[in-house]
Formats: sequence, C-alpha cells, structure tokens
Amino acid sequence: MISISPKALATGSDPAFSKKLDLNNLAPEQVALDINKLNLFYGKKQALNNITMSIPKGQVTAFIGPSGCGKSTLLRCINRMNDLVDDCHISGEINLHGNNIYNKHVDVAELRRKVGMVFQRPNPFPKTIYENVVYGLRIMGENNRRRLDEAAEQSLRSAALWNEVKDRLHESALGLSGGQQQRLVIARAIAIQPEVLLLDEPTSALDPISTLVIEELINDLKKQFTVVIVTHNMQQAARVSDQTAFMYMGDLIEYSDTNTLFTTPLKKKTEDYITGRYG
Amino acid sequence: MAVLISSTRSRSIKNSLAKWLITFGGISVLFTLVLIFLYLLYVVKPIFESAKIESKVNISLQLKANEKVLATGVDELQELVYEITDTGNIDFYHLKASDPLAKKQFAVGEHSFSAHLFADDDFKQERVVSIANSFTANKLLHTASGKTLLVQPSFYAEYSNDIRKIIPQVNYPLGQGSLVIDEQQIPLSQLAFAMDEEQIVFVAFTKDKRLIKTNFIADDEFGSSSNGDDVEYETNYQLIDYPVDVVDEIKVTPDLSLAFVRSGSTVRVYSLTDEEEVSLKATITPTLNDNTYLTAMALLSGSSSVLLGDSSGQISQWFEVATDSGRQFKQIRTFDADNENTSQTSSAITAIYTEQFRKSFYTMTTSGMVNVFYTTSSAHLWQGQLTSSQPAAFAIAPRANGLIIIGNDPLDANKRNLQTFSVHNEHPEVTWQALWQEVWYEGYPEPDYIWQSSSGSDDFEAKFSLVPISFGTIKAALYAMLFAVPVALSAAIYTAYFMTPSLRKKVKPTIEMMEALPTVILGFLAGLWLAPLMEEYLPAIFLLFILLPLATVLTAFSWHKLPNKIKDKLPESLAPILLIPVIMLTTYVAFALSPQLEAILFNGDMRQFLTNDLGINFDQRNALVVGIAMGFAVIPTIFTMAEDAIFSVPGHLTNGSLALGATQWQTLVGVVLLTASPGIFSAVMMGLGRAVGETMIVLMATGNTPILDWSIFQGMRTLAANIAVEMPEAEVGSSHYRILFLAAFVLFIFTFIFNTAAEFVRQRLREKYSSM
Repeated sequence: MISISPKALATGSDPAFSKKLDLNNLAPEQVALDINKLNLFYGKKQALNNITMSIPKGQVTAFIGPSGCGKSTLLRCINRMNDLVDDCHISGEINLHGNNIYNKHVDVAELRRKVGMVFQRPNPFPKTIYENVVYGLRIMGENNRRRLDEAAEQSLRSAALWNEVKDRLHESALGLSGGQQQRLVIARAIAIQPEVLLLDEPTSALDPISTLVIEELINDLKKQFTVVIVTHNMQQAARVSDQTAFMYMGDLIEYSDTNTLFTTPLKKKTEDYITGRYG
Repeated sequence: MAVLISSTRSRSIKNSLAKWLITFGGISVLFTLVLIFLYLLYVVKPIFESAKIESKVNISLQLKANEKVLATGVDELQELVYEITDTGNIDFYHLKASDPLAKKQFAVGEHSFSAHLFADDDFKQERVVSIANSFTANKLLHTASGKTLLVQPSFYAEYSNDIRKIIPQVNYPLGQGSLVIDEQQIPLSQLAFAMDEEQIVFVAFTKDKRLIKTNFIADDEFGSSSNGDDVEYETNYQLIDYPVDVVDEIKVTPDLSLAFVRSGSTVRVYSLTDEEEVSLKATITPTLNDNTYLTAMALLSGSSSVLLGDSSGQISQWFEVATDSGRQFKQIRTFDADNENTSQTSSAITAIYTEQFRKSFYTMTTSGMVNVFYTTSSAHLWQGQLTSSQPAAFAIAPRANGLIIIGNDPLDANKRNLQTFSVHNEHPEVTWQALWQEVWYEGYPEPDYIWQSSSGSDDFEAKFSLVPISFGTIKAALYAMLFAVPVALSAAIYTAYFMTPSLRKKVKPTIEMMEALPTVILGFLAGLWLAPLMEEYLPAIFLLFILLPLATVLTAFSWHKLPNKIKDKLPESLAPILLIPVIMLTTYVAFALSPQLEAILFNGDMRQFLTNDLGINFDQRNALVVGIAMGFAVIPTIFTMAEDAIFSVPGHLTNGSLALGATQWQTLVGVVLLTASPGIFSAVMMGLGRAVGETMIVLMATGNTPILDWSIFQGMRTLAANIAVEMPEAEVGSSHYRILFLAAFVLFIFTFIFNTAAEFVRQRLREKYSSM
C-alpha cells in the first residue's frame, strides 16, 4: 500500500512551471522529443504498441509502470540503444528537432552524444575519475588539456561530486561508493553537453541517502537538460518529475503532469497501479 | 523424526568424507610436484660437488735397502697394484681382500706376484735410471749404460667357478732384448715415446747432447704377441737440429704428430709427421715473472694441449689456435696451485700428472701439496696434502677413480710405503660457469657457447653449454608468438566483440578443437611438408604476409561499399565466410607469382640470393617454419582465453561507452580491451608458456641445431627437444645424463618464471581494471 504524501507532491512541482503544460498541444519550441506511433518488436513479440507522446523541453518526465511494461525499452529507443539487441525491429518515429532519429542517414554515435544515458547500475570505466569524466570528450577528439580540465570540473560540480573527489581525480573511479559512482556517471554523461539525459532507474541500486542526493541532483539538472527518467519507485516519480507517463503491457495508458496523474488519474489501470493494487 | 536424524547423520558423513578426499587430493598433487622438483635436484646435485680424495690402503713395500721405486700402476678395477724398481723388478700386490668364495685366500697388501724384467743377457747388473710413460700402460725402461726395454704390465680376468680373478702379467711388446734407440748407442739423458699399432716414435736427448728421433715401423703390427720375440720392424734414425745443449723434458703426443722439448723456460714444438725431416713448428715462451722459470711439462689427454708448470706454482694451458697468421700456440688459461688457505709463498710445481681420458690433471708442488684441476671448466677441484714427502712414484688409476702414490716412510728411509686413494671426481667438466659462460675448447679459435654432447671420436670432449639451447627455446617461443599473438588476438576480438552470437557458437568450439590436435602431427607436417614447400616458394611466403592482410581489408572495404540490396541477400552472420575464397585466391596468386618474383628480384633463386648476395645462411628447417607451426599450436590457447576475457567484459560498460557516443571501435579500444587486459595478458603468457614447453613440433621442425643466431632462416635447438633427443642415448649417471636433468630443471624454472610473472602482472592488472 503506497500513499503519496502531499509534501512529496509539492516538491515535485516546480514553481516556475506552476502553469500546467497542455501535453497534447505543445508549441514546437517547447518540445524536446516527439514520439510518433512507435512500435517495437523483439522477434515476434511486440514490446511497444503504437506509442505517441511529446516530451517537453527542460522538464523532468518520468516513465512508470510495472516490470515488463516497456518503460525501459521506450527509454532505450530514444538513443537507439535497442539497436544493439538482436532481432529487434522498430517502426514509427522519434523526432529530435523535427528529425526522425530512425532515419537511415542518422549517425548513431552523434545521436547518442545529444541524448545521453545513465544506467541502472553505476558503470564507471576502469580508469581514473578524471578519465571517466572526460571520456566522452576524448572520443570526440578533444585533447586540449585545459578544456578537458574545465569540462571535468564543471561536470563534476553539476553532478554535485566535485567537493568529494577534487583531491583524488587521478585515482581509480572504482574506489568510489555506489552513490558517488552513479553521480560520476551522470557527470560523465553531462560532460559532453547532451540535450536530453535519459536516466534508467538511476537509484535502484543505491541506498536511501544516495538516492536522495541523486534526486536533488535531478532537480538541478532540468535547468540545463531535458531529463527522462524511468523509475520503479512511484514516490520518486512524484518527487522529481514534472510529467509522468504510466505504461502497462507496452501501451502508454496515461500521460499527464505528475500532480494530476497521482491525484486524479483518468484511467482505472493508473489508479489501480498508483494505489498499489498490482505492480 | 528418525528419518530426519539419519539423513542428518549420512549427510555429515558424506560431508566429512568429501572434505577428506578433497584435502587428500589437493595435498597429493602438491606433494607430487615437490617430489618432482626434489628428484630433479637430487639427480643434478652431484655435478656441482667438488672432488673428494680419501685414503684407502697403505702397504709397506718389501724392498732391498738400495732399491729405488721408479714407477707404479694399477689395474682398471683397482684389485692389483704394481711397482717397478731400478733393479728391474716388478712386484704386484693385492688391494682387495679375496672373495670368501674364492679358494685361494689372501689379504689386502699381500704380495701377489713378482718378476724380474731383465731376463735377457743384455741387462746383466743394469740399473734403471728412468722410466718413460706413454698414455697407455707401456713403460720404457732406460738403464745407466744406455740399454732400453719396453715392458707392458697388464692384467687379464680369469673366471674359475664363476669367480672373477685378476691375473697379472708382464708383456714385452718388442721382445726382451735391448732396443737400439740411438744409432751410436750412447746413453740417453731424456727419453720420450709414443706408439700405435704401426709405429713407435722415440724422441731422446743423448748424453753427448744430440736430440734424436727414432722410428720403429712395424712390418706387421705391434702388440700382436705377448712376448714380442717375433716382432719385426724397420728402424729409422734422425738427428734433430737443436739449438741448446740442455734438455729438461721431452713429451711426444699419443698421435705421434708432435714432440714438445723443454729447455729451461722455453718449449720447442717439433712436427714428427714428416718421415724425412723433423721440423720446428713453434716455440712456446711463456711470459713469466722475474725469478720464475718452468719446472714441469705434461700433455693433456687428447694430445692437443700442453700444460706448463712454473716455479711460482702456476700452470698454464697452451694449444694451437687458428689466427690470421696461421695456427699458433696460445696460452689459453692458467691455474694457480697456491695454497688457498694460507698466504705463504707459493711453491714450485714439481710434476704434473694427467688423466688418460679426461682433461683433469694433478699437480705436485715442492711442499707436497696436491692440486686437482680440470682444464676446460677452469675448475680447481681439490687441494690437499696426501703424502709427507715428495713421492717416488705417482699413478692415476685407468678409470681416474683412484691414485697410487709410493712415498718414503718418514721414520725409516729404507722403508717405502705404497698408498692408495679413492677419488670421487665424476663430473669435473661441469661448473656453473662452464654451463652458462663462454668456454674456450681445444682447437677453437676463441671462447664460445657450445652444446655438443657426443661425437664419433674417442678423444672428443663433450661440450655442455646450456646457453645455445636456452636461447633456442626462447627464440622458438618468440617466433611462434610473433605469428600467433596477432592472429589469435584479432580472432578473439572479432569473435567476442563483432561476431553474431549464432556464428560465435560455431566458431569458438571449432578453434578450441584445434588445441586437441596432437602436436606430433603439426610437427611432422611442418618438418616434412611445410619446410620443403617454404624452401621452394620462399617469396610466396613473404608475399602472403603482405597480401593476406591487404586482401582482407580490401574485401571488408568493398563489402562495406556494396549496395544494401546485394548485402541483404546474404545474412549478416555469413558475411565473414566471404573471406574464405578471398584467402584461397590470394594464396594461390602468391604461390603462382612466386617463380616470377624469384626470377625478377632474386636472380631466379631466393635461397641462393640470400646465401650468396646477402650472406644469410638458410636452413630448410628454420625459425620461420617453427614460428608458423608452433604458432598454430599456440593460437587456440591464446584465442580461447583472450576471447573469454573480452566476451566477459560486462555489457553495461560497453553500453556506457556507446551511450556516450563512442563508436564500436572506440568502445573496443577505450573500454573493452582495457577491461579485458588482465585476461588477454594471461592468455598471451599461457601461450608463451606452452611454446616454451612444446616438444614435438620443435623436435621435428627446427633441425635441432644448437646455434646462437636470431636469424629467421636458421634453426635452433630447444631445451625440451634437446632432452627428448638426447635422453635415450645418455648413460645413466654420466655428466651428460645429469646435465639433461639440469636442462629439465631449467625448463621448469623457465615455465615457472613465465607463469609466476604472468600471474603477478595479471593480479596487478585485475586490481586496476577489474570491473564491479
């Protein structure tokens, strides 16, 4: 039985966006990503059914739903990580700046630079903290030491990690705690200045205190980036997101601003889920 | 409840049984390893032990008051010893107590048999003044009035009632009458001789100061009858032109080719091979310190080296060496008979005694100190006092395992003692330095590393340097790795990282199956098929090393550029198979081009070109063949482990890199290979370990030439192959046998070092790069 406290809801709604967006009729400059009739098949099994939604710029959008509902799959479609899965077929479009990312001529590496991603488990590379942060810049060919140093510091500050690691930038990243590692991975992702940051259950492997730090961080990040987060934890969705999409069995059931979705869901399935009848 | 209890009990019995069995298994594996290690050491240990000399028997000789002992000797089994006195008597004594089974009983030291050598009227009332030895048992007796007799004390075994009995006997190879060595029959002050079946050569210095050479040439053969009465020979006298009227010592080499004549500190070497004229071949004048002079001279077994002892206790070894200005005698090394323990002034060498078959020698100094040296290994094997005074006679047992010394009794000048000693000196030629450093062998122009353990000739000296075969091991392994590592690692990277899972499932076990291929098959294919093929199509092989990678890259590139329509017809998983016809075609082209290429670039024959124009020797079985053949054997080992390491790089790391916009290639280099590096490193080291220990391929494809040469066109001999080749022919307990065990031990250490280093580095890398 999960109960959503009003306080949690209050933190979720940023005063700046107190005016509710009409998610079905966003102005083009407000849209970060436009998903249109997206279908995804793993072999013969359909995992996403005709998903259509717009993700607004500079806000936090959460995908919730029970296990296997396709929320992570949808997230991975946004930076084409599903390309790496064998036997995966996609139809429909996802538009970034009005360009379909599934177009033939799209450079996938370039796309992923614009759409960064943080995974469920912290995955720092077996390198130093510094080298982890500048990895994305290095593969883009940036070798200027000063620019790298600046980017590293800025990203680490943005990821609220700078003060903890500034004295040991050249030690192995594997010596950090789980929560620090996850923030490092976020710093690594934002170092290359993406437009969209995808977070795939970023706190599911972390302790409550680290979770809180990351959640606070997400609040800060939306000032710079469009954030899309997948989470199991409804309280987390309520706390950090502006919009929430509820998915069930590959369908997008309901998509609205977080406050509305958690207080007055339109669909029976949504209500059942958020009140803990299944999931 | 009862069921529960019984099941608990049986479970705990099984549990403890399993625990004991596993403990036992583990400990016995460790124990066996330690045992192997200890056994190797146990077999190797004797070669590094120094010599031991122990006193055995002391016999008081029954001699007349004015009789002098001049020579002594012993049979091969050291059962009977004899001495020859100046009155021409020879006496034999028992050295071993009789076997209780033998009917006739005797004790140690008991007199066995005596003979008077001067049966002939020529020798009435003669006194022997000198006895000349040759390397055989023959003794040449010379009397004060210039009479000469050749005697041969000998022994033969008789078996009565299945009991061996050694019977002494005295032979006169040239009859019992006096030999005429000097035409003018003037007594000789110095006399030396050497003989074989056909002739005897005497070199002597007469009392009237002539140096003469006398040849007895047998009509039939010397030594065919025991009393020599019917031996007929032709005599040939020559006068040698000699500049000095003093001669201190003369030695004739057993092969009758050289005579060394010492006058003071100068040794003149005469060539005796020309029957018409004896020519001066060389003059040896050692550089000696002031107030130092030569005191003794001896020939080393094998007749190539001469040893010169001086008054300061130094002995130098000299032999002929090919130099730019022809063959010259050179001082090779020196030995110091100084007393190591006290710093007293050194005493002069009074005599040098050499062993019959080995390069060992014993020196006697004026202080009565005996030193034992081995020339080739420069080893000082033993030092000590055996007798209280200068010996009257000294002999080394034929098997070099005993000494006979006849000395004077310190208490009674008229009593003479015969002392025997046992000598434990089985492996004087082996020292740590001789195994690992350059050694100057007789007849070689300079010190060198040589492994040559056997030969057809008797006076051959075995050369045991472990350097060439250790080098060969490393060379073979390195060439194999040069071929295997790029191929195996590329294959591993491709299979683990780029190949579709369905194809990977087929490819990986196939390559792993290659490991089960018996290496003997690879070995004989390499030796009998690949080596001749490569010799014939040498340019093709080198062409292939360039063309194959080129063709592969070209195919990949054109496949990439191919329109999708055509690409879609072939499933992606089968695309790599396209390479097979490309490789076959490239190989065919390379081989077809080979003769033309050879004609254009190498004047029609690359082998000839290499040898004649570039001066590179070409062996048919060479490092190139071994590199490819052993590379094939090593590829599966490296491939399997490296592939596993790369494949087990966690997906979330790869994804993390890809999600940052890295390409597949950047991810591979920046993350995958880095994370897999401990595994890849240990794969390479395992491959190296395998290549070092590999036997059959190197045995069959290297040519087994123990040479020190990095050339890709030269063969090599490895430790493992050396053991396999020579162990069957090594006599158990011999130096050769023990050195082969040492080679095994070195091989063991090699693999031990490689594996330990590999494990150490791997652990360090793993600490650094291990993923969560």
